[in-house]
Order: sequence, then C-alpha cells, then structure tokens
Amino acid sequence: MRLVLPGAVLVLLAVAVAAPGLLAASDPLAADPAAALAPPGGAHWFGSDHLGRDVLSRVVHGARHSLGIGVAATALSVAAGVLLGLAAGLSPAWLDEALSRAFDVLSTLPELLLALLVVAVTGPGTGNVIAAIAVAQIPTYARVVRAQTFVVRRAGYVEHAVTSGRSRWAVTAGHVLPNVLGPIPVLATIGLGTAVIASSGLSFLGMGPQPPAAEWGAMLAGARDYLRVAWWEALFPGAAITLTVACLTVVGRGLQRRFEGRTP
Amino acid sequence: MRRAAALASSVVLSAAVLVGCGAQAAPQAGATSLTWAVETQPVTLNPHLWAQNKVRLLVFNQFDALVSRGADGSFQPWLARSWKVSDDGRAYTFELRDDVTFHDGTRFDAAAVKANLDQLLKPGYNPAVAAIQLGSFSRAEVLSPTRLRITLKRPDALFLDFLSSPYAGQVSPASLRAAKDLKFGGTELAGTGPFILDRYVQGQELHYHRNPAYRWAPPGAGHQGPAHLSEITYRFLPEAAVRVGALTSGQVQVIEGVPATEVALVEKDPGLTFLRALNSGTSFSYYFNTSHPPFDDVRVRRAFREAVDLDAVLASVYRGTATRAWSVVARSSPFYDAGLEGRYGGNAAEAGALLDAAGWRQRDAEGYRVKDGRRLTVRSVSSAPFVRDRRDVLAQAVQAQVKQSAGIDLQIRIVDQGAAQQAADDDQYEIFENSRGDSDAGAALNLILRGDGAINRTRYSDPELDGWLAAASATSDPAERRRLYAEVQRKAVEEQALVFPIYVPGDQIAARRSVQGLGFDPVTGTPRGAYDVRVGT
Repeated sequence: MRLVLPGAVLVLLAVAVAAPGLLAASDPLAADPAAALAPPGGAHWFGSDHLGRDVLSRVVHGARHSLGIGVAATALSVAAGVLLGLAAGLSPAWLDEALSRAFDVLSTLPELLLALLVVAVTGPGTGNVIAAIAVAQIPTYARVVRAQTFVVRRAGYVEHAVTSGRSRWAVTAGHVLPNVLGPIPVLATIGLGTAVIASSGLSFLGMGPQPPAAEWGAMLAGARDYLRVAWWEALFPGAAITLTVACLTVVGRGLQRRFEGRTP
Repeated sequence: MRRAAALASSVVLSAAVLVGCGAQAAPQAGATSLTWAVETQPVTLNPHLWAQNKVRLLVFNQFDALVSRGADGSFQPWLARSWKVSDDGRAYTFELRDDVTFHDGTRFDAAAVKANLDQLLKPGYNPAVAAIQLGSFSRAEVLSPTRLRITLKRPDALFLDFLSSPYAGQVSPASLRAAKDLKFGGTELAGTGPFILDRYVQGQELHYHRNPAYRWAPPGAGHQGPAHLSEITYRFLPEAAVRVGALTSGQVQVIEGVPATEVALVEKDPGLTFLRALNSGTSFSYYFNTSHPPFDDVRVRRAFREAVDLDAVLASVYRGTATRAWSVVARSSPFYDAGLEGRYGGNAAEAGALLDAAGWRQRDAEGYRVKDGRRLTVRSVSSAPFVRDRRDVLAQAVQAQVKQSAGIDLQIRIVDQGAAQQAADDDQYEIFENSRGDSDAGAALNLILRGDGAINRTRYSDPELDGWLAAASATSDPAERRRLYAEVQRKAVEEQALVFPIYVPGDQIAARRSVQGLGFDPVTGTPRGAYDVRVGT
C-alpha cells in the first residue's frame, strides 16, 4: 500500500522518458530571450529559465537524460558485477583472491569520487558518465553475487547436476546463475537511485550531457547564478532529482522487505 | 636548557603583550587589512607573460612599469623620471629614478630595464610580445645607471603604451635568473611595487603585505609613500553568487565581477557601494575562422550575424547592463568607429536568404541546414580561464538563436588552456571568442587582424589591412591613426564580416561602504590595484 504513491511517481517518470511530449508539449531547447526568467504562471507552469526556455518542458525532457544515464549505468554495472562476481565465486582460490581484492580497492573509494576519477580521465560526455558510474558501482553487485555463488555452489541441486555429468558451463548457466540473481533486482532499484544522484552530480559539474541538453544536474548548475532572482529555475529540477531518488529508494526498500530472508 | 625555555616564554609573553597593544591601537589607526574576492584565477603572475585582463589589478600591486598613464591618457613618469624622443622617432632616452629598490633588496637601474627587455626577447618566452609589441625594438644601451637609450627599427606609436603595460612591469633580474618556475612567477619574482606577494595558494588565495620602502608612486596616484593597507588578501571565488554572498555576509570587503542579476541587490544595500566602468581595447567578439568551410564564405559569416537578435540576447543574459558592441574596437576607445552602428545584424530573413544563396538549402530532421550531406556545424572552443562575464551562458543564448532563426548548429566547448591552444594550432574551430583590454586598441588589432598576428584566429590575411595597421602603428598623429583604424574596422567588420562584435566588456566593483580609494584605471577601465585603497571607520 505504501508503495502506491512512489510507484505512481515512477510510472509518471517512465512516461516522461518514453513519451515526454505527452506531459510537456513545448520544445525544451526553444529559447525566447524576451520571456527570460518569467515566474511560474499560465504560459510557463514552472516558469522560464535565464534563456527563456520552458522549465516544465526541460524537467520532463530531462528525465530521459537523467534517468536514462542512471538506467544504462545500472544495467552495465549489474551485467559486469554479475559476471565478475560469478567468476570470483567459481574460480580457483588465487583468482578469487585477486578479484576480491580489486573489489575491495574499488569499494574503499566513494562511488562519486571514483566516477569523477573516471570522467577526469575519459573527458565529459554522456557515454563517459555512464561508464564512470557503472565502474563505480560494479563492486556492490560483484560482492553480493560472489557471496551468493559460494552458497549456491554447495547446494544439493548443484552437486547433483555436477555428479550427473552436466558440463561446467551448463551447470553455471542453468543452475548457479539463476539462483544467485535473487537479491539483484532489489539492489539495482536502490542502486538506480544512487546512479541518478551520481549522474546529476557529474552533470552539475559540467561532466555530463553538454549544453543546451536538458539534464537535471546541468539545469541546476545553470540556475545557481539566478537563485536570488528566479527560485523556480533551480527548484523544479532539484525537486525532480529528490523525488526520483526518494521514490526509487522507498520502492527498493519495500521490495527488500518483501523478499527479505528468502534464500535459494 | 631551562634558561632557554624561560627566555623563550618571556619572548612569547612580551610578543603577546605587544600584539595585544597593537590590537588595541588598531581601531584608532583604522583597520589596515582587506580581503578582496576576485572572479579569475591567474594563469601566471609573471607580468611579462600577463594574459588575462582580469589579472591586471594584481600586476601593479607587485610591479611598477617605466611609464604611467594620466587620467587624460597622457604618458607620465613612473620608474622613468623623464624621457626624450629623437626627431626621427626611433631613439628614446630615459632618465630613471635612482631611489628604487626591488623587493629582494637589489637596486633598480638601467641594467635592470635592459635585462627585462632581453628576457622578453628570449626565444619561446613570450613570442607574441616579442613579435608584435617589441617588433620594432632594435636595442637597449645602458648609458649610466640612471640613463638608458632604446633604439627602434622604425617609429612606433605604441611603444610608450607598451612601456606602461603590465608586460613592462619591472622584475628584479636576480629573481628572473633564480626563479624555478619563471612561467608562473608568483612569490619567486621580485618587483618594485607597493605590495610584496608572500603567499599564493592555488585555487584559494593570494596574500600581499605592504612594501614599507615604497616612495615611487606614479603622479596620477591618489597619494605618495607606502600603501595605506598593511596587507591584502585576494580570494578566488569564481562563482558569481558566492562572491556576492561573501560580500553581503561580511566575509570579504570588496568583490569584482558583479553579475547583472545581482546589481540591483547591491545597489539597494545601503552598506555597499557599486562602481562600474567600460574597458578599453577590443569588444568581446566572435571571430570567424575563414580558412575552411563554412566560414570561408563571407555570406555564411554575414548570415551568422544576421541570425542573432543581439539586443534581445544581451537583454536576457545581462538584464540590461551590457553595452552592445558594433565594432571590434571597444566603444570607449578614441579609435572607435561609430559609423558601423546599426549597419548589420538581427535580420533572420536575410540570414536565411544568404545561406540559401551559399548553397545551404536543405534541412535535416533536427532542423539544421545541410549541404552535400554535411550539416552546417560550427565549433566554438574556448579556454576556461578566459571565460568571464557569463560568456558560457551568452554562448548558449547565441546557440539557440542561430538554430531557431537560421538552422546553424553551434557547438560550444569550454576546455582547459592546453586543449584550447591545441584546437587553435590544429585549425579545429570555426569561432574564436576574445576580448582584449589593451590600453591602446591598436596594440590589440595588431595581434588579432594582422596577417602574421600572434592571435590572428580568423586566419585572414590582407595586404591592404596589414598596410593600414602598420601605418597606424608608425604615426603618432592621432587624427591619422583614427582615419586608418576606421578603414581597418570598415573592412574587417562591414566588408569582410570577419568578426561578430557582441558587447563592450566592463568591470564592476562592489564594496563595503567603509572601503575607500577603489576605482578604475582611467585608460583601460579595469579595476585599479590596492595602492590607494584604505579602510575607514
């Protein structure tokens, strides 16, 4: 029940990503200098920004950039994390040791700092930000999958499959993999929230999609010089980030509670 | 051992007592330290390599030039007491002050001036200055410790202007030799100025203390003798809103670079004063790279200018505080050609017609014009340390305008200094953004428009233009120079459309009301240094 409201917000966000035109008709890049910094009202529900662009339209279209980067980065890091975690859990002790230490080293750095480091090396841009956030989140998934793998590979059905002569790959793909993935959807939902914050943060610093792209973090950065005269320019993208991350976290925690304690 | 400790503690104690007395005496004498927040962090503190107009206010704290400028623009003595120019305009004989010492204790004399000139001519040190400002320089001879003769290859109307510029800030030859990081300068270089730089923390601040021996202020200064302030700290606060907040909350007493959106707020505050001035030199302009498509076609260059409703853009970005530019020469310069006003710009239909005529007729799915399958894309690459006055926001406004009214795809990149230089060297740009604050606009035009100019980013070369520029540099007749520079502006701005002049840069200072003696250099319009500044009660 308590997931209804955040769920509804996430559905709205999904609509904004898939068909932003349904929620905001005007072009997010169309500038009208004569109407710059107009307060929220009839013509612009969320007001206009310092170049006279419609803030509502930019917030709605911005969902595609901000959430898109988050989803892409999370998908990438889940894929890489699962593979690496599985490899560590199934490989000889020395390789497991090496991979685990690598995860440890990556985990010692805060995710945002690590992402910043990656972007500093690769340069700004949407693709690089996705890669940076993905790299930073890999250890989260890899460690969980590795731990799960240790449990699963000793399970009766796996030992049965091995003794019945199935190949190593077939056992891994058919029995181990499906059973280590249990906690991943929950983790990924919460991780998506973190990724959205990281992508907004990097864009705020000018590392993400370049102007004039409507991205929430970049919008905040553009608005900060106008805070005293036009609160709406910063408030709405800021609220969009907060609401998105809060809803993702609430839904993630809700899922976590529901599936807590279930082991393969 | 115990005696030593007792001695030390008594020293500490008496020092504390003395400090206490000082603190008590201070209110009577007036506070003598000041914190000033600046927008731009220097890329170098070596005056010879000075590159940012925003840093001019720092240079003359630490360094003095040979010649100063009066409020009327005339040349006045400074470290040179007087000078004589030979009848053919080629030999300058300077009588130098004999009472000047550098911060490192060495004496300032004719040999030091020669050493500074020699340094500027060293290959690879400052090639732009060596080629342009010192292009007419032949030799310097030390006639006596206080007498120096400089001979030029040809008369040069800009030579005294050069000797009054930051480039001619006199650096102790001993420190020039000893400096480990000469390119940056900083605390390693000793000048003769009213303040001594004692601390530089990258990304944070600069700290100067007063030079108690200073007795050689230029005649145009507000007072003589040592500076009023005993120490001054410049904090680097690149965020405009943060600077204003630091001022209103009392963390700093002075800021420069007041954004348009905050001007009304500052002016309304009874505890603050607000000053502004327009800079001399060149307007902030977009220079079109004519060496390759699409700007090798004058019609495309014209179309770009017509596509932008500049008045509307400036009104939205600068909230009515910017002065529109019509020429590459700034409006405040005596060489400004007002005849160019209203002659171009802001006609979207004309922009469309020009682009159609130039063959950019088709449009792609995103609405951009295409020709032979290539989109009408132009790239502007600018160096982050030179981005000021919200030029990044301005570029976004121009970007939206050229897209909406002409289908031009303007791509904006703000990169570090190295990457910007690389793009310039590799010819990987179509638009170059620049303004220069030279006290004599002619010096800037020589750098920007001459075929061999050090920052000729239009890559346009025209013997006629070069001829006018050379003639204007050689004559000291103001009327003749005005006529020649008017020809230059007509050709560069109107006939060839090499440049899109945008606004006349200005500087703003906001300060607590108790801070006095702030102001602008009368010739350049940039904030003056801290020499005359004092804090009243």
